[in-house]
Amino acid sequence: MANVTENREQVVGIGAGAKELATEDMVLNIGPQHPSTHGVLRLRLTLDGERISQAEPIVGYMHRGAEKLFEVRDYRQIIVLANRHDWLSAFANELGVVLAVERMLGMEVPIRAVWTRTLLAELNRILNHLMFLGSYPLEVGAITPIFYAFRERETLQAVMEEISGGRMHYMFNRVGGLKEELPQGWLDRVADAVHQVRTRLPNLENLIHGNEIFRARTRGVGILTPEAIMQYGVSGPIARASGVDFDLRRDEPYLAYGELPVKVVTRQEGDCLARFECLLDQVKVSLDLADLCVDRMRGLPQGPVNQRLPKVLKVPEGHTYAWTENPLGINGYYLVSRGEKTPWRLKLRSASYNNIQALKEMLPGQLVADMIAILGSMFFVVGDIDK
Amino acid sequence: MTRQYPEVQPELPARSRGVIALVEENCTSCMLCARECPDWCIYIDSHKETLPSPEGGRARTRNVLDRFAIDFSLCMYCGICIEVCPFDALFWSPEFAYSEYDIRDLLHEKDRLGGWLESVPPPPAHDEKAEPAKELQVAARPPRPARDAGAPAAAPARERPVREPRAAAVRAIKPPGSLPKRPDPDPDPEGNGSGPRPTRGEPPENVT
Repeated sequence: MANVTENREQVVGIGAGAKELATEDMVLNIGPQHPSTHGVLRLRLTLDGERISQAEPIVGYMHRGAEKLFEVRDYRQIIVLANRHDWLSAFANELGVVLAVERMLGMEVPIRAVWTRTLLAELNRILNHLMFLGSYPLEVGAITPIFYAFRERETLQAVMEEISGGRMHYMFNRVGGLKEELPQGWLDRVADAVHQVRTRLPNLENLIHGNEIFRARTRGVGILTPEAIMQYGVSGPIARASGVDFDLRRDEPYLAYGELPVKVVTRQEGDCLARFECLLDQVKVSLDLADLCVDRMRGLPQGPVNQRLPKVLKVPEGHTYAWTENPLGINGYYLVSRGEKTPWRLKLRSASYNNIQALKEMLPGQLVADMIAILGSMFFVVGDIDK
Repeated sequence: MTRQYPEVQPELPARSRGVIALVEENCTSCMLCARECPDWCIYIDSHKETLPSPEGGRARTRNVLDRFAIDFSLCMYCGICIEVCPFDALFWSPEFAYSEYDIRDLLHEKDRLGGWLESVPPPPAHDEKAEPAKELQVAARPPRPARDAGAPAAAPARERPVREPRAAAVRAIKPPGSLPKRPDPDPDPEGNGSGPRPTRGEPPENVT
């Protein structure tokens, strides 16, 4: 007894003398089927007790060969596939393809189409962020926020469905503009939906953002350094949460972003909470941008929303790289054409693929219990990783 | 938020992509939809039928549609088939409640596709800023003045004025996407810039 009080560090019972024995690390597979990975992402963790000593994301379980399929599809059919790899930001994905093709053709898109695209891209960004604002609390144990997030999503999805006919895979971009004209009164309904989401967003925010448990689980957890971001090519809200102030909408404007005051949301902490806050603030910024788009569109002159295309659309020989600020990060499309009606190669750089590679840096040293909080805060779509 | 679904049907917008309806009479079995479908889920069988010649005229053949089926277990709901159909034989319907216990029953044959037609809504009116519909644009165009003067006149007199706009129209649609930004070198009267361009002044002969 005296011995124990003398030296509190002494281990008794099972595990006593473990220092002398060679202990083996445990390898723990998270996934490919795991409820918190929302998809088939597999993480191979090497554990030293409760602590992660090594982490390796193993990707490819959902590889569908999108890039190879692009090579045997014409440019309209590519849009079908391109909006499916990241199913939460379908509109933004279509956008990269058509921007690349339009650049190769030297095609000028009608101004109404440019503004409508900008508006739809921002609405799509809000939809995407709301999904994660709902699902991330779910992963750390708060069930209620997702119902609020989905109510807002439903409000916006109604206007998206009205214009495009789809709730997820909008299929509304075409080379040279948009598929169809806007329905009558649609802009009013967009303004109304944006207003509703803005007034109800504080419900969601107050529910989770100030929550003590939520903050305890996310603050200071899973810090991603700006150096790792640069090395791994992390982009989007995750990068901005670590103070990497880079947003293509401001820094290399495409569509009509050059004429819009794009406020780039950044945080310095780089932890899970900062990533969540970035997402939340981006929703507010996007709501403002959507309102500005609607205002600008009301003042535009009468005109078309698309171009007449030839029956067989052939892109001239050459190559181009179009990148866009997708909701989850930078999406890049490297299009190489040999003058055929299909691309010779269409390389797809998707945001999630690079973003989750940084897990290798972030997870070691963390507890297994925090792994879920970190994984959820990386805001990825498995289809976007595996393509 | 909560909807009492089976009792209260959802109100879906007219463009909602639920199911594809077929107007069998309009289909010429041209196969455009089946060829453009990204995952080839449209099956078309047809045969040629020779119609008896009317009063000594040439005998005519026409396509008869034997089978038109869409496999909704493969369909990606992209709507390309509807977009490419030149004869308005396919339409979107917002109807969505056609799930089946057996995946093979998702293959809708032409009777079933035709049955969806009654649920096809009229298309929504367009935005105020939209360009007027093509039909209205054509109707609003002033009638061609050459028509009245040309009809009673002799053939060679009529031929010249017709040829000129034809060539101009072909030039206008030539580059895909019409490249509006490039400054047109055409208006410079010196003709230095138009050196590499072959035979600008006269209308090409092989234009169709």
